[in-house]
Amino acid sequence: MGNQSGTKTVWLLKKEIKSVLRSKWLILGFMISPLFAWLFQGAFLNFVFAQAIEPENVYITVEDEGAWGAYLNNSFWAQYNYEKDNPNVSFLLIEELIPVDRSMGEALWENRTAPVWILIPANFTEVLEATNESMIILYVNSGSFRAQAAGARIDFFARWVIDEVIELRKLEVSRIEPVTPEASYGHQLAIFLVMLTSVLAPGPYVSKSFAGERERHTLEALLVVPLSRLRILGAKLVAGLILTMIYSAFTIVGILVYNFLVVFRAQGAIGGDEAVQFYSINVETLPLIFFCQFLILLCAIGIGVVISMLAKDQASAESINNLILLVPTMVIGILGFTGSILQYGGLFGMIVWLIPFSHAIMFLNGVLSGAATVTSLTVNVLYMLGFTLVFLVLGARAFEREAIIA
Amino acid sequence: MLDEVVIKTESLLKIFEEGKKREVTALNDVSLQIRRGEVFGLLGPNGAGKTTLIRILVGLLTPTGGEAHVLGRNVTADIEYIRERVALLPQEAGIYERLTARENLIYYGGLYGIPEETLNERADELLDIVGLREKEDYQVKGFSGGMKRKVLVARALIIEPEIIFMDEPTTGVDTIGARVVRTLLKRLSSERNQTIILTTHDLNEVSELCHRVGILNQGRLVAVGKPTELEEKFKAANLEEVFTGLVTGEGVYGE
Repeated sequence: MGNQSGTKTVWLLKKEIKSVLRSKWLILGFMISPLFAWLFQGAFLNFVFAQAIEPENVYITVEDEGAWGAYLNNSFWAQYNYEKDNPNVSFLLIEELIPVDRSMGEALWENRTAPVWILIPANFTEVLEATNESMIILYVNSGSFRAQAAGARIDFFARWVIDEVIELRKLEVSRIEPVTPEASYGHQLAIFLVMLTSVLAPGPYVSKSFAGERERHTLEALLVVPLSRLRILGAKLVAGLILTMIYSAFTIVGILVYNFLVVFRAQGAIGGDEAVQFYSINVETLPLIFFCQFLILLCAIGIGVVISMLAKDQASAESINNLILLVPTMVIGILGFTGSILQYGGLFGMIVWLIPFSHAIMFLNGVLSGAATVTSLTVNVLYMLGFTLVFLVLGARAFEREAIIA
Repeated sequence: MLDEVVIKTESLLKIFEEGKKREVTALNDVSLQIRRGEVFGLLGPNGAGKTTLIRILVGLLTPTGGEAHVLGRNVTADIEYIRERVALLPQEAGIYERLTARENLIYYGGLYGIPEETLNERADELLDIVGLREKEDYQVKGFSGGMKRKVLVARALIIEPEIIFMDEPTTGVDTIGARVVRTLLKRLSSERNQTIILTTHDLNEVSELCHRVGILNQGRLVAVGKPTELEEKFKAANLEEVFTGLVTGEGVYGE
């Protein structure tokens, strides 16, 4: 009887998979959603990098008649001309350096035609010689990534020129940067996107598989076959997990595409190596991300099953599922982006800790940053598994109710 | 029809709790015996308890009181044995629309552990009988209500059950299709000794098909017997008069 039941369960599992594989939109969603999420991020960073390494028009006004104003102005021109003669050198990356008087500069700035305007004021040399400190004014169009990048280069260049000539002081900065449990931008992004997409991924399948079957009255016929309800539930859950793995696989593909876009554009840019380090995702961590995604999917399926058992119909199940899962996920996702998800104490902090997906973030953060301990990781994994188990038991009980077919 | 009793209920009671305070008695003191090979018609207005009785007999619901035995086994104690040997054709559609007609049959049969080769042979025969052989590879979602019903009938039969519970098997099926289904049910009963319990609102169907009928009203079994016996007993011209009289209380013929 045991073997026979096993065969029937596998049969049910195969049918569940086959049935969902025919839901073309569901499968398409499984593939497109993670790919799109990552492609969008990659394309966005690509755009930022691309803008940052594009030459920009710069206007310059020199009111200072002293030596240092002229020296700084000449340095800009020398570098600009040098780069014109040597196209492979791209330090200032100025398309056209255009001298203007102050009134013209102000007019250009007013009518927003000047992306960057350098103003070396009349008292620049005088103040510098008197106090060893002085100031130039840099007008930068903050609505343009290209202008901002050009502004940053000019800022850096001007400081470098003046500091190179006048060594005022030598300031040594001792940077204290202990290993924190928060990872780099790339890893934070991975955590956020993996979690957000995984939490929502099983919803359509789980709703269809339970609330949907009840709504279409196929559940009644299924429940009279010689298989225990636990086996039916188990087969559906395993099918759900296998199907959502399509989602995970495409998440990995999406991450690789994202990495490619970041590396492709950032290379060759000023600070490109640092950007790659900061924005990209270490491919060695992909198995870990995959494992964590598995835990999240399992947990989301557990919660989804209970919702689906109690909801009136498939549409209600999906709506409730989204509502219940999306809100806490967004909260902890945003918290994770702005620092530690455990940055708040009190009741709010406790609520955050109790959300199972917080433990996925803690787990990934801990491992990716190297700050985790075996104990902390074990607690994270056990909490998620325990949470899932509780929900699966609740789901199984709900599935055993007579009202399931009512 | 044989003498062996395959379904037996004694003082069956089913109460549903609706909320904390309200209770609905769906079945009350229902005692019934059905024999192997018998076609038994369950009649009653909507809400009389027909579907509840069937659901108890296939183990979907647990009785609140009394006992129910199917194939000699208690439904609350030995339901897996019973389920191996009975099939249910539910009242509502209950069909996998994304699967083809053939896949629906094969899938359902597979859940009973029947080898795929056997299932394919049975599916060929059944699809021929219900007249869907040409459409066997079409997804069911494009079928009419009557065609879906035929698929469900074939699906219930593919496991060759000893007992078939059919909740309104010909509802929505066209006249010719209904005739096909009725002929099939007669054949199953007479040639294979399969027991068929069907609920229907079509009293002509009952007269034509059923060896005996049971009339349920407000959860109580108010009459059981052969259609002709009931007509005689209640001095009615036909079964419809018996049914209407017992259910509405108007013109009930005294014993």
